[in-house]
Amino acid sequence: MERRSLVPYLLILPAFAYLLFFVGYPLIQALYLAFTQNGALSLDVWRRTFSDYYFWSAFKYTIALAGIIVPTQVALAVVLALLMNRVFKGKDAALYALIIPLTISDVAAGLIWYSMLSPYGFVNKLLMNLGVISQPIYVFGYEYRTREFFAIVIAELWRSTAIVFVIILAGLQMISREYIEAAEVFGASYWTRLRRIVLPLLKPSIQSALIIRTLFAMQIFGVVWILAGRDIPVLAGEGYYQLTEIKDAGVASVYALIIAGLSILLGTLYIKFLRAEYLEVGE
Amino acid sequence: MKRLFGLLLAGIVVFAVVASGCISPGGETKVTVTFLSTQLNPPEERAFVQEELLKGFTSDTNIEVNFVPISYTDMVTRLEGEMQTGKVTIDVIGDLHGGMDYMASKGWLEDLSKMPKLEGRTFISTFEKYSYIRGQKVYVPWMSATYVMVVNKEAFKYLPAGLTEDDVVKGTDKWTYDALLQWAKNLKEATGQPQLGFPAGPKGLFVRFLHGYIYPSYTGYQAKEFDSPEAVEMWNYLKELWPYVHPSSTTWDAMADPLLKGEVLIAWDHTARIKNAIETKPDQFVVVPVPRGPKGRGFIVVLAGLAIPKGAPHKEEAWKLIDYLTQPDTQVKVLEKTGFFPTVEEASGKLPEGPLKILAQGVQAQASTQDALVVMIPNLGDKGGQFKEYYKQAFERIVLNNEDPATVTKEIKPELIKLFEDIGVPVP
Repeated sequence: MERRSLVPYLLILPAFAYLLFFVGYPLIQALYLAFTQNGALSLDVWRRTFSDYYFWSAFKYTIALAGIIVPTQVALAVVLALLMNRVFKGKDAALYALIIPLTISDVAAGLIWYSMLSPYGFVNKLLMNLGVISQPIYVFGYEYRTREFFAIVIAELWRSTAIVFVIILAGLQMISREYIEAAEVFGASYWTRLRRIVLPLLKPSIQSALIIRTLFAMQIFGVVWILAGRDIPVLAGEGYYQLTEIKDAGVASVYALIIAGLSILLGTLYIKFLRAEYLEVGE
Repeated sequence: MKRLFGLLLAGIVVFAVVASGCISPGGETKVTVTFLSTQLNPPEERAFVQEELLKGFTSDTNIEVNFVPISYTDMVTRLEGEMQTGKVTIDVIGDLHGGMDYMASKGWLEDLSKMPKLEGRTFISTFEKYSYIRGQKVYVPWMSATYVMVVNKEAFKYLPAGLTEDDVVKGTDKWTYDALLQWAKNLKEATGQPQLGFPAGPKGLFVRFLHGYIYPSYTGYQAKEFDSPEAVEMWNYLKELWPYVHPSSTTWDAMADPLLKGEVLIAWDHTARIKNAIETKPDQFVVVPVPRGPKGRGFIVVLAGLAIPKGAPHKEEAWKLIDYLTQPDTQVKVLEKTGFFPTVEEASGKLPEGPLKILAQGVQAQASTQDALVVMIPNLGDKGGQFKEYYKQAFERIVLNNEDPATVTKEIKPELIKLFEDIGVPVP
């Protein structure tokens, strides 16, 4: 009897050890680096971070990018999922095409878009050959930060809308046909059905998609680094820069902790305010 | 079962002993020289050193070399440990001038003036001079590198009045920063596009241009006169120049590509980072000295040397390795593979015609200008990143964000100076 009660703990042990070693230890290390100076407790590292020339613009840009990318992505994914959630010829091929960017890393996506948008890249060459422009349009460079910003938005939308799409499509396919058919019987229009049945039932999927995407948006880095370098500083990029170039592990840890803190905060907010309604479970 | 386990265990023990080298499996024992180097660490260069360069040495002398690529901090930690315990295992150290200076100041390096003369080579006198630190021969100059300007011959058509191609190629008094500004203006007016480029991307070396080239050219120092009126004048000059600098510069890490694609006609960068452009189109480019400023022609020389730590186990063999690495033929081979320049005069006579010669001539021309103001990269160890960050910040705020140069430099200077004071390095 006693032996048996040990089994669940033993089963969970590997996962627990893994978390402890690969998440717990670095976390404690980061906290140590962020709150000590020469071995003594100190807030000096935080002061250094907040007074850093790039900190506030990194913070601002990270939030701005997330604020634009995530809602656009979710809206786009819902529309795409609704379009794909019906039977038509070539559906499989269309599905594959939509999901392909999922397989591409962010750095690779950045490189693809960089080579497309660079002064001598595909887009400029096309426009020049069509006679639309005579000089290449510059997208990259400090003076063109707004254009760089939108290049990042486009690359991110292209790369990571797929994951939101997959989650939402899965949610859509779980919605029982019966509800829709019942609504049809009562004469509900497409829009009414969408508003009253489909979207509320999709809420859990939208919520998970939002959480995943927002958390990843806080860590946005590879695409930005490739397309804009440090013209557009972001939190994760500054953390990396502090560690590899400036060699200030303390400030880098603070950046990491801020990203973690933001993620936890946003995750909690989502769960609190987007409480899903589970029709099937309720009365 | 138990017996099998015992046998297995014994086998493992025997294997471990043999593998660890405690007992060599017979035959004559070769001497192995341990060579720690902070240079030639990238995988490609490392492969060249291990597979090609050192194989040649081993077949000549029957001395094995254990080449250990290592970071500066790790090397100093290891050497310090070995010095304290008195168990030195390192025979040869390859590092930059600044690191050698530090290690010599700690008394860790052998005085090399007692070693036999290295025959058949003349070390370039500036390098030879630098290798004596506080009256001691600390290292043997090994390789050098610098940053130069590359000009697409097309650009010579738009030279400003009073400046000739010869002035630029030889680096005469007329080749000044003001002349560069006028030239860049002409180029933009003629072509409709800015034609001057700098590697000002996040991994680019533009910051070296700031502290090692234009700062000394205007103020005479890298950091000491950071906020002086001359420095303000310099920043105003850069502000005036920037509209004629290609706008993508802040995303470029190396200039070879923009030069080859024809995006810019004039560029400044590290010799190793433009080597590719010259190798690909040797007829199109010339390498020229940088312009001069009011205080002279500031430029950085990166100098790597070879030293022997005190108490090294194989001193004689170590000296043989140093002898081999500084022979003109070896130096030419290193230049061909890595873009690091020779430190002995005889090597230039052994260079093949073509791209490398173009590079070497430019470097030589820069080094031998009358008003040369040679600058060494300050040795700040881990703080080197922070040092660069201050210059980058000043540049971004003043030139890109149009802040007042006097205010920004006054704000940054105390922190910059503190960096040197904290480490105990004189402010350059």
